[in-house]
Formats: sequence, C-alpha cells, structure tokens
Amino acid sequence: MSSLVAFVAGGYLVPLALVAIALVSAATGGVARRLASVSLLLTLPIAVSVVLVSALTRAGTEVLVVLGPFDVTREGVDFAGQMLVRLFAISTAIGLFSLTTDPRAFVFDLERRGLSPRFAFVAAATVEAVPAMVTRAGVIAAAQRSRGLDTEGSLRARLRGVLPLVGPVILSSLTEVEERSLALEVRAFGRPGVRHLLWWPPDTAVERVARWLIVAALLVLVAVRLAGAWPPIP
Amino acid sequence: MDGVIEVERLVHVYPEGTRALDGVDLRVAAGEAVAVVGQNGSGKSTLVRHLNGLLRPTDGVVRIDGRDTAGTKVACLAALVGLAFQDPDKQIFAGRVRAEVAFGPRNLGLRGPAVDEAVTGALRLVGLADVADVNPYDLGQSRRKLLAIASILAMRTPIVVLDEPTTGQDLRGVARVQEIVRSLVADGRTVLAISHDMRFVAETFPRVVVMRAGRVVLDAPPAEVFGAPSWPTLASTYLEPPLAARVGAHLGLGATPTEAALVDAVAARLRS
Repeated sequence: MSSLVAFVAGGYLVPLALVAIALVSAATGGVARRLASVSLLLTLPIAVSVVLVSALTRAGTEVLVVLGPFDVTREGVDFAGQMLVRLFAISTAIGLFSLTTDPRAFVFDLERRGLSPRFAFVAAATVEAVPAMVTRAGVIAAAQRSRGLDTEGSLRARLRGVLPLVGPVILSSLTEVEERSLALEVRAFGRPGVRHLLWWPPDTAVERVARWLIVAALLVLVAVRLAGAWPPIP
Repeated sequence: MDGVIEVERLVHVYPEGTRALDGVDLRVAAGEAVAVVGQNGSGKSTLVRHLNGLLRPTDGVVRIDGRDTAGTKVACLAALVGLAFQDPDKQIFAGRVRAEVAFGPRNLGLRGPAVDEAVTGALRLVGLADVADVNPYDLGQSRRKLLAIASILAMRTPIVVLDEPTTGQDLRGVARVQEIVRSLVADGRTVLAISHDMRFVAETFPRVVVMRAGRVVLDAPPAEVFGAPSWPTLASTYLEPPLAARVGAHLGLGATPTEAALVDAVAARLRS
C-alpha cells in the first residue's frame, strides 16, 4: 500500500514521509539497522541505473552539466531524484513488512481469506526470501573472504567482489527453491481439496480499522490526483 | 612455511548474547593435524572463524605465526589460514571448475603459470583434475565439496581448516579426504578439521580436541579421547566413540580407536 501511495503521490514529500514512517516503525521494532541495509540492498542496483538513465538522457530546458555527449538537465536530475525517493519508499515498505511479519502467520491469514495454498505459499516464500537472502549473503561473504576476497578495501576491490558474492546467492537460492518445491510435493502440498487450519493469527479491531483507513487514504489520494488538485507527476 | 596457532583465553559473545566461546586455550604446532569435535553449538565453527579473522575475540587473543589476528584484515589472514566451508554451494560462482579454484590464488596475488600450477596441483590432490573444464554445477554434491576444498588448497596456506569435510561423502570420498589431510601434513602444513565422523577422526588425526559449551574438555590423542575413561565426557557432549573403540573396550583389549588398532589387538590376544 505504501508503495502505491509513493507512486500515486509522486514528488518528494510523501515518499520521504513514507520512508521516515517505515524507519521510525522499524526503530520501534528494533530492526532499523537491518531495514536500512535491506532497503539499500534492494534499491541500489535499480537506483543506479534509473538515476544514470534519467539524469543523462532526459530532455530539459536548463542544462546543469555537459558530460561528453550527454546534457545533464535540471528536469532530468529532478526526475531521477523523485524516482529515487519512490524506490526507497517502496523498498523500505517491503523490507519493513518482511522483517516484522511472521511468514507463517501471513500464510495462514491468506489461506483463511480463501487464497489457494499454492498462492499463499508463493507469497510467504517471497516474504521469507529477503531475510533469508541477507543471512545467506553473510555466509557467502564469509566464505569468499576466506578465499582472500577483499570486501573492506577500495571501491574497485569491492566492485570486483560483486560477482563472487551475488553469484552464489542466486545459484544457491535457485537450488533451494527446487529442493523446497520437491519437499512440498512429497508432503502432498499439491493435493486438491479444502485444508483445515489449526491456527489463526491474532487480528485485533485496531489493526482491522487501521487497514481500512490506509485503503481509504489511498482512494482519497487517487481521487485528489484525478481531480488535479496535486502537483503533476513529472 | 610456519603455521602455528595460538589461542589464549578466547571468549566470543555473539551480539544477541550467546556466549559461544568461554575461555578457550589451544596451541597447535606447525605441521600438526588436529580434529575438533563436539556437539552442535559447542563452539567449533566459532573457534575456527577466529583463525582467519571472520570473527573477532570478545576477549582473549588469537595469534597466527605470532601475529595477533585482532588488527589484521581477513584478506591478509587468508594468505595464512585457508578455511573451507561446510556448504560448497555457499561459495561456488564460476562457470568452470578451474576458474573457481583459481579465485583464491588470484586474490592472493598469484598470476599466470603460478596460478595454473596451484590450480592443477589442488585439483589433482582432490581427484578433480579430469573435470577442470566442467561447470561446477554439473558435478555432484560430494564432488562440489571436494572442489570447495581444492579452492582452499590452491591458496597454499600454511594452515588449512576443513569444516565437516566428510559430510555427504561416500567411503571413497572419505578416503580421499584422509589422503588430502595426510598429504598436507607431509607437506608441512597445519591442518584443523571439524567433524562429527568419529571413525574418520580416529583414523586421520593424531590429536583430538573435544569441545563442550564453548570450552575444551578433552585434548589428547585418539587412543585417550576414545578410551573408556573418556566416554562419560564424550557422552556429555553427545559424541559416541568409534565402533572399533567400543568393541575393543568390551573385549578388554584396551584402547583401540581405529579398526587397524582393533585388529592388531585381537591378533595379539590370539597369539598370546
């Protein structure tokens, strides 16, 4: 929801406010540092390309810097900045959700609401993926550092270490997904029919009201945007 | 080539408060082969991760060849201590076995023929020379494990640490790992291995360190560690002596930690 709001609202203020809300919420839950690192991990690869493409190729009237064949315009930098804060708003929202939501409770709640167990599992696996990948990345970094990979040196040395760090994360994740799907199938996960749930996650009245208020806020925002009473998206 | 490990009063407390090491003292001479055993969570992996600086002591000192690891970067300690991790899939990234093994030596600054020589030697030692140009993921799990070991051996560090080297290996694989350890020791290198395979430990290492709750509770040759008087201590850390040791003790043959020792003891008994 926060991601949608960030995109619908545009500009800097709302996405930055969402980032601040996510960080304050994370600090309350004691996961602020982890959220910051997860958010950077999720955002940086996309952010670098988005910022470069936007700043270097977007046409504009006011040229700030000329870099070889590229004109860096004020409009391009502004667009890149707005995209960047939106990306951070999205990544902090996803990161906060994955760091503070019990995947088991999430799956049970989705199933309770009538979602197919297959879809529920895919959703839970997605939520679990981020913290699991952070842990896995830590082990992989330790293994590669033991082979002399310098992760504490210059920027060049660190860039050289990207493939040895990212490669095993992706490959071992793919292997695990395959093993996990086989393990599910041998335990009759694909069997058709209704499941009996043994446990429901707690869901207080306050939480239910808060959820509807967020949905209402989004609808209001969309209406305001459609009515043209908000600065246009660049 | 040295390879002396000195650990003094080593304490390690993880950020969440787990006291994984609680005053470990250990000295391993250059060229020695030592097995570290103990139940899960006894502190074995935490201990060896201090040797190359992946973990820093909460208290105490770790010295490699007289150099305190506290102020030394992991990338520098990697030239002294090679640590082969338990799960090969947590490190393999290259598209060819040869390239994977060359990663460590290149990081240490080797280039050209020196890298080729190190890679070829390591692959030959682990028995993977014939698959040097194969994709690592086309190898089975046990061979990928040997590949991970080869990638450490190619760095030619004076100290080699193997974390669970026999896990997932069949008899032939275990024999290969034994051969690797013996070859390293013959080459004057210090070898430390974490293992839950007591038969492998008894047959391969002249010294066994037993850990429990972050402390060293036994440190002796296999005949003593797996001898009947040590069984209560082993049991307290959920370890069981090798079958040969138990059979020898039940037959009143004394300490027979290996099958060879058991056969010798039985033969001696029959002769007498």
